[in-house]
Amino acid sequence: MRLLTERVDSGLRELWTDEDTVEFQVDAARAHDVLRTLRDDEELSFFMLADAAAVDYGSGERFEVVYHLFSWKHPGWLRIRAHVDRADPRIASITDLWEGAMFHEREMYDMMGIVFEGNRDLRRIYMSPDYRSFPQRRDFVLPDDAADSSAAGVNPLERPETWDLTRFNRAPAVTFPTSELRPGAPAEAVEDGKTLADQSRPR
Amino acid sequence: MAVDRPKSTPPPTPAAQDPPIVIADQAGSDGLLRQFGMEEHPQGGFHGLLEVIPTKADYILDLIRANSLWPLLSGLSCCAIEMMSTATSVNDIDRFGMFPFRASPRQADVLIVAGTLTTKMAGPLVRLWEQMPEPKWCVAMGTCTTSGGRFKRSYSVVQGVDRVMPVDVYVPGCPPRPEGLIYGMMKLHELVKQRRGQWSTYVDRGPQRTRWEGDVR
Amino acid sequence: MTRIDAETRIPDPIELDRLEEDRLRTVAGLAPLRTESGEYAGFDQVGIPDRPPQTDRERDVYSLGEGEMLVNMGPQHPSTHGVMRLVVKVRGEIIVDIDPVLGYLHRGIEKLCENATYTTVLTYVDPMDYLSTMHNEHAPAIAFEKLYGIRAPKRAEYIRALVVELNRIFSHGLMMGFLALDMGGITPILYAFINRDEIVDMLSAISGQRMLFNFFRVGGVNFDMNDEFLSRLGTWRGRVLKNIEMNEGLITGNEIFRSRTINMGTLSGQDAISLGVTGPNLRASGVPFDIRKAQPYSIYNELEFDVITQEGGDSYARYLQRIAEIKQSIHLIDQIIDKMPHGPVQAQVPGIIRPKPGRAYAAVESPRGLYSVYAISDGGPNPYRFRMRDPSFISLQALPKLMPGRLVADTMAVMASFDPVMGGVDK
Repeated sequence: MRLLTERVDSGLRELWTDEDTVEFQVDAARAHDVLRTLRDDEELSFFMLADAAAVDYGSGERFEVVYHLFSWKHPGWLRIRAHVDRADPRIASITDLWEGAMFHEREMYDMMGIVFEGNRDLRRIYMSPDYRSFPQRRDFVLPDDAADSSAAGVNPLERPETWDLTRFNRAPAVTFPTSELRPGAPAEAVEDGKTLADQSRPR
Repeated sequence: MAVDRPKSTPPPTPAAQDPPIVIADQAGSDGLLRQFGMEEHPQGGFHGLLEVIPTKADYILDLIRANSLWPLLSGLSCCAIEMMSTATSVNDIDRFGMFPFRASPRQADVLIVAGTLTTKMAGPLVRLWEQMPEPKWCVAMGTCTTSGGRFKRSYSVVQGVDRVMPVDVYVPGCPPRPEGLIYGMMKLHELVKQRRGQWSTYVDRGPQRTRWEGDVR
Repeated sequence: MTRIDAETRIPDPIELDRLEEDRLRTVAGLAPLRTESGEYAGFDQVGIPDRPPQTDRERDVYSLGEGEMLVNMGPQHPSTHGVMRLVVKVRGEIIVDIDPVLGYLHRGIEKLCENATYTTVLTYVDPMDYLSTMHNEHAPAIAFEKLYGIRAPKRAEYIRALVVELNRIFSHGLMMGFLALDMGGITPILYAFINRDEIVDMLSAISGQRMLFNFFRVGGVNFDMNDEFLSRLGTWRGRVLKNIEMNEGLITGNEIFRSRTINMGTLSGQDAISLGVTGPNLRASGVPFDIRKAQPYSIYNELEFDVITQEGGDSYARYLQRIAEIKQSIHLIDQIIDKMPHGPVQAQVPGIIRPKPGRAYAAVESPRGLYSVYAISDGGPNPYRFRMRDPSFISLQALPKLMPGRLVADTMAVMASFDPVMGGVDK
């Protein structure tokens, strides 16, 4: 397996083998060509893209886009780690090789912010379209920060700190006219501080 | 005046007549009832004659409402499967009258929020709630709707559906067993028959949702 | 069944209405209402979406041509797959394009798992693909065992395979029920849920939970089989084939079902591979790819079974594929019970495991396809990156490929034959 990849590809970094996985790293610029070679070459014929994932290695470090491929002719999975610059996260899209990568890339864009050039439909898939951050980055800290982060969109339903939780318990704004049968007593008046829910049955 | 009775009728004396049994439909059309003084008071309960007498019609109407609560098919996530399992043969919710899971909110009574409510789904769910005509009740099924559940620290899960709508019954569990959901439904029956619950306080509040700018709905 | 394609000129009531309305508006002195064809129909005309399109594809989908309109099959709909929104561009009744909008159930599980210990991660992944919980847990368990460098004991592996096959059986049974339910038949889902309740009671005897079984551990399984589980297993095994055939008899030969699924949503093998469709959907298109054979994991090396495929790749083939897989799973369960060894069910693993830094990838065959986990460990108690690849998520891409040219009513039938579960789609 290692011999084959060394023969057909060139300029790979860091080949690594496990009991069932072969892994190597490439630059973002070469990833698309390498994948095309892997898919189209007769002896390699990695026809199936099993997974496309993105990994964030922290604020000063890089992104990685990790592809897992499968071929009938080779035992084990092939893992390609494409090194993507974190300051300018762009990489060529592989939707022309595998159409099923569209949703993978949309998810990677949505969660990490990696832009796939050539993808015809790079928009957010999980979060709302006006969401302004990338949740799965390492510097996106989970609540209680998420609601206060710059990520929260304009929809108040995403900003729980703006919700007024007492609105269900306040007295109604409308006051009702008095009842005929008991003159003088306003019908169903609600005293201050009490709610209708306090009474088991409206009187 | 709240009491829209024709002036020619003298105020009826209590304990003199049997209340006529008139079955009101769920949509709450009051025209027919108004003649008999049985129309719905905006705040629930009957006024006039029927309030003074311990009301059989009241009781029967509540019984009817309780025993034919039609749930809205609002299964979001895993609890939906348990809700469906409650609805099917082994644990049968049809014996309580809840068989038709209505697809349209206009025809439903109960909104059983089954599954995790996310911030993206909260908008449509609140819209469904508002589209349901009253009387309506809400059951928060599962821990995700009670309090956020196992997704307590998530960035996109609404921590409990009572942040966006009033809830009458909370059924804990992840997911609650069908027997648990049926127990929750029995509690809801109690609420319905006793006219407790959030809907009786929820009437006539004006816009039932804060309007935010840019809202075009 | 007559095939209607996009070129068939049926007198469209929409056109007649529009002409009439234009005539009335002209008489009243008003301007005509509709926009020209090809122009992006903004919010005030259409309502969805409420902002300009961001991408080329979005512009394609939301630009209305002659006589087209956008119909929103919203997040709440009677189909039982969960909260998915399909924006369907139709011309009359014929679908021109589909745009699935996802994310209504996105719970951020991957992010939550980065702050959880490895054992807690196994509880977080349960509600992803909630109809195949055991598979959801199986893949991370294998990945974490690879990271930690241990193997589960033999008995644990056999119990794992047993519960995984049971899960597959009831998940496929539910698919049969949902497929019929989406077409309007209510009885098969009741039978499917009877079957599911029997199996789930059995699994609750062994794991304590009816649905989101927290059963797998790193290094094995939580509980051993007990008497109640075995007795229920025996009773169920005696009844299951008859139950499945009873349900099948309602559906398979049914004229309405056949006319609604045969030659509907035909997916060729090459398209399926390119789209990333895996599992029974792929095997129904003729590609014999089964991860249990292609990349064997657990004890599938020691069990004998074939890879079943169907020809045709239409909805009917996907349905038949799942029935065949139910029977194959029953056969596998028989072998597992025969070969079950004695031994411990969990390896000696500390409560909080700290594997050495590394990466692991594990893929299992879930009832919906290839479910895989890519885990990166940095030596600490929490995984550094925990990525799940869900099969339903990727299979949904087949829908915009298959549906144009079909009728709106076939959308749900074709989607149900792919059997997506929104918990997995949205993570």
